[in-house]
Amino acid sequence: MIGSKRKGLGVVTTAAIATSALLISAIPAHAEVGVSSSEIKLGITLPLTGPASPGYSKIAPAMKAYFAYVNANGGVNGRKITLVIKDDQYIPQQAINLTNELILKDKVMAMVGALGTANNLAVASKVQIASRGVPSLFVNTGYSGFADKKKFPTTFSLFPSYVMEAKAIATYVKENLPTAKTCVLLQNDDFGADAAAGFKTGGLTFTETIKYVSGTQSSATGQTWVGKFAAAKCEVVVLFGVGSANAIALGVAAAGGYKPQWILGSVGSDVTTIKITLNNPQATALMNGAIGVSWAPDSSDLTDEYVKQFREINTTYNAGAVFDNNVMVGMNEGLLVVQALRAAGSNPTRKSLIAAIEKKGSTFATAGYSTLAYSATSHVGQTGFWFGKYNLAGELKSVDGKYTMYTTDSAAGPVVKAEQKRLPMPAKGLPSNS
Amino acid sequence: MHSLRRLFLFIFSTLILLALSLKIEELRVYQGAQIAIYALGISSIVLLTGYSGQVSLGNGAFMAIGAYSAALTQIHWHLPLFLTFVIGTLSAALAGAILGGGAARLSGPYLAGATLALAVGLPTLANQFTVLNGETGLDYTAGTPPTWFGESFTLYKWFFWIVLANVMLMMFFLRNITSSRYGRTWKALRGNPVAAQLSGIQVGGSKVLAFTISAGVAGLAGTLLGMIGFVGPTGFQLGLSFALVTGAILSGVTSLAGSMLGAVVLVAIPELATVIAHRLGDTERVTSNLPGLIMSTLLILTVLFTPNGPAEQIRKHKARKQ
Repeated sequence: MIGSKRKGLGVVTTAAIATSALLISAIPAHAEVGVSSSEIKLGITLPLTGPASPGYSKIAPAMKAYFAYVNANGGVNGRKITLVIKDDQYIPQQAINLTNELILKDKVMAMVGALGTANNLAVASKVQIASRGVPSLFVNTGYSGFADKKKFPTTFSLFPSYVMEAKAIATYVKENLPTAKTCVLLQNDDFGADAAAGFKTGGLTFTETIKYVSGTQSSATGQTWVGKFAAAKCEVVVLFGVGSANAIALGVAAAGGYKPQWILGSVGSDVTTIKITLNNPQATALMNGAIGVSWAPDSSDLTDEYVKQFREINTTYNAGAVFDNNVMVGMNEGLLVVQALRAAGSNPTRKSLIAAIEKKGSTFATAGYSTLAYSATSHVGQTGFWFGKYNLAGELKSVDGKYTMYTTDSAAGPVVKAEQKRLPMPAKGLPSNS
Repeated sequence: MHSLRRLFLFIFSTLILLALSLKIEELRVYQGAQIAIYALGISSIVLLTGYSGQVSLGNGAFMAIGAYSAALTQIHWHLPLFLTFVIGTLSAALAGAILGGGAARLSGPYLAGATLALAVGLPTLANQFTVLNGETGLDYTAGTPPTWFGESFTLYKWFFWIVLANVMLMMFFLRNITSSRYGRTWKALRGNPVAAQLSGIQVGGSKVLAFTISAGVAGLAGTLLGMIGFVGPTGFQLGLSFALVTGAILSGVTSLAGSMLGAVVLVAIPELATVIAHRLGDTERVTSNLPGLIMSTLLILTVLFTPNGPAEQIRKHKARKQ
C-alpha cells in the first residue's frame, strides 16, 4: 500500500520534474527580432545530409558565401548578415523542429530559401510563421500553392511554378514536336500533381504516363519505366522527376540502347545530382541532345554577367566549391535578400521587409530571364522559361540563341513568348537600391 | 480513497505544469509537449514489455495509425478535435487487437520481427493511396487558441495544454490499470506464463488485451504528435519505433514514472548534440550523426550498468537503505 502510494507520487513528481527539466529561463526581448545595430540574422533549413542532399546541400553555403562578400564590402546599411544553416535532411518534422529553433532560439529575423514543398507546407501549418509575422523569402520550391497570398501571407516564391513549367513544355512540344508520341515520368506527390495540372491546362496528352513514388527510384524501377516507354514506342519522353529519378531513367535507357528525344524538367536536370546518382563523372554525356528548360542562365555560361560575378565571389568566398546551378541559385537568392533588406529601410523590420518586396520587388535584379512579378497582390517571383539543348558536358545552350522566354501563370492564362528581359547585375554584385 | 488521492495528485501536477507553461519561453513549451508525447509513447512499450512481457518494435506504426485516422476524420468528416483523439486512439487499439491476436501466438524474436515488419511496411502505404497524400502528408491541426485566453496565449501553449491534458488523463488510466488485477495478471504472465496458466489466467486473452491497450496508448501519442508536428510517412519512420524502445530501456522497462526520464533524454539529445557539434567545429556530418551516437552509447551503458533503468535502480537503492 505504502509502496503503491510512493509509486503514484513518483510518477507525478517525476512527470513534473522531467517535463520542466528543459524549461530554462527566457531570453530578453529585442526591438526587432534578429536585427541589432551591427547584425541581421537570417535562417535556412535544407538537406545537408541524407539522400536528398546531393546538389541541394550547396545552396546554403553559396548563399552564405554571397553574404560574406556583401559583409566584406560594408554589409547592409552597416549591418553584417549572419545566416544560420540547419540540416533538415528533407524530413518535414525535422524542418518544423529546426525552424522552431531558428525562430525561437536563434531569433532570426526571417527565413530565406527554405527548401522542399512538404517541408515548407509543414512549417507553415505547425510553426505558423504567418501568424508570427516571420517572413519566409524566396522558398526553394516551385509548388504553385505558395502563390496563395491569403494562405501564405509572409511567404515569397522565387522559382516559376511547376504548373508554369509544364504549360511551357506543353506549348514547346506542340510547336516543335507536334506529331511525336509523347510520354512522361512524374513524381506521385504535389510536385507531380502540379506538373500534371500544367500539362493538362497546356493541352498536352501523353501516350504513357508513369508516376513513381518518391524514394522508390532505383535501377529496378528504372528498368520498369524504360521498358514501358519503349513498349509504348514513345518518341519524346518528358522526365519531370527529381534529379536521381531522371538520372536513373537516362542511365537505364542508355544501357538498353533506347534513345527517345528526352526533355528534362528544371528540377531534375541538375548535373551534380545526375553525376552522383549514377556514380559517374562522365554521366553528363547521357544528357547530350536532351532538351532542357530553365528560368535562369546556365551556370557554365561565362558570357552571362550574373554567372561571371557569382563565379568570382564563389572562388574567393565559397571554399573552392564547384560552381554549378545550385551555387548560382544560392547566390541569386542572397542577391535578392540583400536588395529586400536594403529596400526595407535603414532599420528593417519583419513588416517593412514584406512591404518592401511587395512594393519594390519587381525592380530587384535577378539572374532569371523574366522580370519578377512581386506586387501587393502577388508573391510570385519568376514567371518564365527558356528552352535549350544539353551538350556532352551537360551544359544547356539556348535552342534559338536568343533565350526566348515562355511566360505564363499558374492558372489558365496563356503561354506568351517574349524576348528575355532582365535588369543588369548591380556593379560588382553589390546592390545599391533603397 | 487511494484512487481519489492519486486523482488529486494527477490533477494538481497537471495544473502546476499548465501554470508553468505560461511563464517560460515558447521553444521550451513546444519541447515540453514533445516530452509529454514521447513519455506516452514510451509508456505504451512499458505496458506491453514491462508488464505483459511481450516485445514490440513497431509501436511507431500504431502511432502512425492513430495520427492518420485522426487527421482523415478531421479533414473529411470535420470532427471536433477531441473526437479525433478518440478516433485516433480507438483505430490504433483496433489495429493492435488484430495484430495482438497473431502476436499472442508468437514470442521473443518472432514477435519482435512481426512488429518490426509492421513498422517498416506501414509508412510506405502513405504513398500507395492518394487519400493519404503521399510524402506531403496530411494537415492535421489544433486550430488557433481560443481568443478569450488572450494574445499572450500562443499556439505552442495551446499545443502544450491539449497534449498535457490528454497525456495526464491517459497516464492516470495506465497507472490505475497497472495496479489493478489486470496489471497483476500481466506481471504474472511476464514472470512465468506456464505458472500463470496453471493459476487460471487466460494467457492468450490477457496478451491480446495488453497489446490492444498498448496500441491504443501509442495511437493517442501518435495523434498528439501529428497535431503538433507532421502527419506523413517521414513522421513515423522506423527510427521513431526504435527511439521509443530506446527511451523505454533508458528509463527502465518496468517503470511508468521512468518513461518521463526516457522522454526527456530523447528530446534533450539533439540539443546536447548541437552543443557538442558546435564545439567540434559544427560540420554537417558531426551534427547529423552525433544524436545517434549519443543515443547508442547511452543504450549500451544502460544495459551494462542499469539493465532495469536508472529509475528502477534508484528505487531499489532507496529500498535497500530503508
